[in-house]
Amino acid sequence: MELIIGGAYQGKRAYAKEALGVSDGDFFTCSGTTLDTSRRCIEHLERYTLACVQAGLDSMEVTDLDTLADKIVICDDISCGVVPIDPLERAWREQTGRLLTKLSGRASRVTRIFCGLPLELKG
Amino acid sequence: MNYLLSGGAKNGKSMLAQKIVKSMQPDRPIYYLATMIPHDEEDRARIARHLQDRDGWGFTTIECGKNILHALDRADTSGAFLLDSVTALLANEMFLADGRLDRAAPARVADELAEFAARTGYTVFVSDCIYADAGIYDEWTARYRAGLALIDRRLAQVCGSVAELCAGNALWYKGEWRG
Repeated sequence: MELIIGGAYQGKRAYAKEALGVSDGDFFTCSGTTLDTSRRCIEHLERYTLACVQAGLDSMEVTDLDTLADKIVICDDISCGVVPIDPLERAWREQTGRLLTKLSGRASRVTRIFCGLPLELKG
Repeated sequence: MNYLLSGGAKNGKSMLAQKIVKSMQPDRPIYYLATMIPHDEEDRARIARHLQDRDGWGFTTIECGKNILHALDRADTSGAFLLDSVTALLANEMFLADGRLDRAAPARVADELAEFAARTGYTVFVSDCIYADAGIYDEWTARYRAGLALIDRRLAQVCGSVAELCAGNALWYKGEWRG
């Protein structure tokens, strides 16, 4: 697995296309509580964790990490603000962080994108 | 060589920017492009603190809250420039005094700053990393965040050196600076 993280709007998708040769048809854009693992690249994983939290699911429990073994996973870093007042947003932030840490442990390479520029954190 | 420095608040961006600008063109004028248009006492206090920080550095301050290329009419373009900050400049260009939102501002400001970098060659741009929190924002704020990120990515392309500041330490994504 390859993990690409970074703040919102930093150019993560563009990096996957340019550096890893991902084409537009290869992307699955998360919006609900299911992941389409038939695609090469899964983006906006933070929307998946948000949907899980909203549905009362723990993404750490319901996500089969083995199905992501050969995927490129892209996720927004949502970890740097103040603790959200809304309990749902708090749970979302926490689940996303825990899931990313776990994915990062399994990933062969982890890249952080900042202003469109990559920084390899692992690999 | 142009520079882009970004990162969270109070991590030493302005201080490093001042040092870089001071070292760029030793015998040329150095300019501070003041982008904040003060609206209240808090703003005025912030400006006073920044003025104090720059005291004795030899900067000529140019007040320029909008239309940044006009600042070059008032400067020797062979000098070095510190633009602090892209964040304030975009807010001034985007959120208009009559309460309207200028949706075209991000692309326009990105073009103007790229031209500014090309015409001067010795500018340090300071921006703010406001992209990694768990907020779910209203449309205007979301557009502003996306707009600032558009400008940051453009500046990261045209600048020779790009760093993220963290607790006074610079993490270089491109190029570097040795003081």
